[in-house]
Amino acid sequence: MAAPMAPSMVPKEEEPSAVDLANNEAGTPADALYDKCAQRSQGTVFFQRDLSNMQVAETMAELTMLLQELCDRHLMKLMTFEGEPCWKLRSRAEADKLRRLTPDERLLYHHIDQVQAEGIWSKALRARTNVTQQVLTKCLKSLESKDLVQSVMSVKFPNRKMYLLKHLRPSEDIAGGPWQSEGDFDTALIETISGIVAQHIENETCIKVPGNWNDYERPDRTADMAQKKAQVQGIRDIEDAPAVKPYHQPRDPNSSKIVHKNNPQYPTSASVAEWLNSKEILRGKTVREDDMEQLLEMMVLDGRLEKISGTNYRTVLTAIDTKVYNGFVDAPCGNCPVFDLCGDEGEISARTCVYFGQWLETQSEEV
Amino acid sequence: MSYTQRETPVLAELCTFLVEDVYGELAARVYSVLARHGRQTLAAVARASYLNGRQIKYGLVILLQQHLVFHSGNDSQPTYYEIDWLNSYALVRLGKVTKLVEDRFGRKAANVMTNLLRLGHTRIADLKEAYFPTETDSDDDSDDGTVNGAGMKRKRGGGNEPNGSAKTNGVVNGDDVKPVVSGDHAHSGTMNGGPVEQSEQEHAEEDDGEIASVDELYEIIERLIQRGWVRTMTESQYLSPGDMHDMLQQETIDQDLGGQQPTGTKDKAVCHKNTLERKRNMRDKWLNVPRFSRRGKPDQDYSNPTKRVKINGANGYSSAGAASPEDKLVIRVNPEKIAVAMRTEQLVQLVEQRLGHVTAHIYQTMLRMLEANTARCYEEYPEPPTAGDEGGDNQIDPKNLVTARDVAKKISRDLDICEGLDPNAIVQITRKGHVRSANILSQPTDPSTLSMDEKTRIIDKHIQLLSEDPTHFVTWHSRAGFSQWHIEFEEIAKQLIQTEIENTISARKGTLGVKLIRALRKKGKLDERATCNAMMMSANDLRGIVNDLTVQGLVQTQEVPKVERREAKHSLHLIWYDRQRAREKLLHDTYKGMVRILQRIQFEREKVQPLLSKAERSDVVGNEEKWLSKGELDALRKWKEVQEKLSLQLFREDDLVATLRDFHGPLVSV
Ligand code: SF4
Repeated sequence: MAAPMAPSMVPKEEEPSAVDLANNEAGTPADALYDKCAQRSQGTVFFQRDLSNMQVAETMAELTMLLQELCDRHLMKLMTFEGEPCWKLRSRAEADKLRRLTPDERLLYHHIDQVQAEGIWSKALRARTNVTQQVLTKCLKSLESKDLVQSVMSVKFPNRKMYLLKHLRPSEDIAGGPWQSEGDFDTALIETISGIVAQHIENETCIKVPGNWNDYERPDRTADMAQKKAQVQGIRDIEDAPAVKPYHQPRDPNSSKIVHKNNPQYPTSASVAEWLNSKEILRGKTVREDDMEQLLEMMVLDGRLEKISGTNYRTVLTAIDTKVYNGFVDAPCGNCPVFDLCGDEGEISARTCVYFGQWLETQSEEV
Repeated sequence: MSYTQRETPVLAELCTFLVEDVYGELAARVYSVLARHGRQTLAAVARASYLNGRQIKYGLVILLQQHLVFHSGNDSQPTYYEIDWLNSYALVRLGKVTKLVEDRFGRKAANVMTNLLRLGHTRIADLKEAYFPTETDSDDDSDDGTVNGAGMKRKRGGGNEPNGSAKTNGVVNGDDVKPVVSGDHAHSGTMNGGPVEQSEQEHAEEDDGEIASVDELYEIIERLIQRGWVRTMTESQYLSPGDMHDMLQQETIDQDLGGQQPTGTKDKAVCHKNTLERKRNMRDKWLNVPRFSRRGKPDQDYSNPTKRVKINGANGYSSAGAASPEDKLVIRVNPEKIAVAMRTEQLVQLVEQRLGHVTAHIYQTMLRMLEANTARCYEEYPEPPTAGDEGGDNQIDPKNLVTARDVAKKISRDLDICEGLDPNAIVQITRKGHVRSANILSQPTDPSTLSMDEKTRIIDKHIQLLSEDPTHFVTWHSRAGFSQWHIEFEEIAKQLIQTEIENTISARKGTLGVKLIRALRKKGKLDERATCNAMMMSANDLRGIVNDLTVQGLVQTQEVPKVERREAKHSLHLIWYDRQRAREKLLHDTYKGMVRILQRIQFEREKVQPLLSKAERSDVVGNEEKWLSKGELDALRKWKEVQEKLSLQLFREDDLVATLRDFHGPLVSV
């Protein structure tokens, strides 16, 4: 039996290893070893030295034997890490199911186990195992009905069915995060949540200031005018910038504007994720930090948020409402569908241009 | 070839237009030969044009005086002529320059500047003559009979035609109604108090902006030179970048490498490095402030802001007629400084959009303080990076640091510096009252009653806003009593370019297009799926935009085959965004847009030409109501409006050109 290579040594979630005493085969040294291992936190990977340190086996040879026995009973799974063999426990219930598999099923299970959360495409599975299509279909069905494996539609390749072990959560590559459903981005959900998040971040980083927030006595306008006049008439210092006081609207208590908060606590993806989860807006789903980062980064691209430093976000504010773009695109040519065809003369030119005609409200040359 | 000297057919067309507009047909014809054929000798120009030798020389004189053309120097025969694209293009900025100078140094200085722009390079004596003609006929004084005396007309007139070229204009081209680029309408849209009203004001209050004495004139010139707006003219400024490079490289080889052509990599590196250094030195020398005789020590201090123009300097010139040693100096406008000032204006506008007008005003104050020490937007001849040296020694010249205190001292008392801040920040500083629940101060604060210290701290709050913005308008440097700030123009300039590209896309394709560009910029080359992931949307919604932007040349695509047979189906399709390419494409398109606007102005003018001729008849001027019908008056008014609108747009396109071209050297992209 080839040693299954662990795709990574990151401990994956396993079912709690219920030590089933009713079905007790305890008493044998192998079971003693199993029980000792089961006391460790689940998902632990054991190397040979860990196992010999448990002092169940007297000699190396005996340990090897015990391990072999456990593997045969599917209670343990042999893996390698950087060339070194290592073992991981299976629950007794799982082992029990595995023991009842046909050899074909076991073979398929083994390959599905190898890919872990990434999942494996049925076609690829067949290529690796060399079984016939019928056997494949039959075995997969049976494995699914025994609750050992599950199938998911891939997000990356929408028409591929991916298989992975039942207890694993499909990786983002095949299932997508909380923002996806049925393999595609859930636009409505994203819209709603980003709206909520935007509001939250605005509350955290901005403050709404009414027009009359600082209602001090304004100096008399006539005095102002007189002073201004004096300024104009006086000989101006060559270096003084002219005292042009731009006109700004009087302070209206009903109008308000939003400004950046003084020394705010800038939210991070972790803090926003925590906040969102605590609100339980996404029923049943929790949002991980990664998922939130994806959303926030997208909102930065959208121009709704801006990044202040490595991990902090805040709301984008604009002080002026009117949107001007730039000199080029605000003129007809900058947005012209026939820009590349337009020449110095001929049918499409500045003289005959309908867009200029509309923009200036003048007549263009007829062609 | 120098980056800035790269030209495109569109730019050539645009510049020819501008030259014709300002300097008339003869100059434009010589110019267009050079524009189409590149570097030429006089004889070759003659062959390529239908002009006779006298006409060509006449045209060339104008072009040379205005620095629209380089020549290869007198010691090498024959002399080659070559267009100076940057200066030619700068013709569109004439009006803007006046406005920039006026904002900084007042109307009188603006007046001097305008004359310098009109005249091209000028002896100070001639400039003086233009303002204060000696009793005898002033024309005797002019050295080569070019365009002397124009300044005089300029000053009084405020009219529309480019009178600097009035004489030469008349030779080929009688049509003088060329108001487009003549400056009086020039100003960018968002600034208040346009030169249009201003020229009217000049009529209203005749003496405002009038320079009263020779002394005052000299003082203004000196100040403009000190601040780097005007520089002395030398022959070396006529060398094209190519000639200059050859000359200085030869000099390096002769002096530093013992006359041996460099062969090894080490020699080549030395040669390159020293040539660049020579270029920097030569250029810096152009900005040296000459000694002005008046006070004996002219370049005393750059920073004293309170020096008042003395109407009657104690030891000034006694009369206009007396000659001074500096009269022989030839001076011209320093184009690099114009770009610096334009950068200031644009940054201020951007801040106003993002953070409001008070913060913008504070930023403007900071930027203008730094302008005095900023000769140019970016170093065209940077020291090549030496291996092993990671640029660790980026020492910042203390002259480039600003503190909130500096700003507080300069800021106008009329500015309500409390606006635009969180009320809590104000209370924290003034320690008066508290902030009520509706974010209203329980004890209002009149900004004019604040102490210097409070003012400083409030201004520092604004500066913090500037520094926290993702564009990082200012950067904290160190603490010396107060926080010292500096401005990382390099990075900001890149941001400005990016912003303009995004604005363009936003206008054409909405937020989705912008989102795509930003995603690509952040993540580099992406395939479709990765793009969808970054933007969190489905591929179907995306394809149209990718296509459109690719066609517009703002997004690049690439197909990487994965299988032997290169089937497209199996290939990897990557999309990416190259900022430099997008920048060049947009710049090119903008030039073209400007050409179209100029063409449209020409077309609109043609339509009303008969009417314009009539309106300019001497019996009609001033009596329009009497001689023109209502329909004619309406048509004239409409033409003015149209011209105004088109010109304004032209100047805004020029702002875009400045951002894309003048604030930052070529970007090493992706
Ligand atoms: S002149 Fe008219 S047709 Fe030509 S590019 Fe401009 S808008 Fe388009």
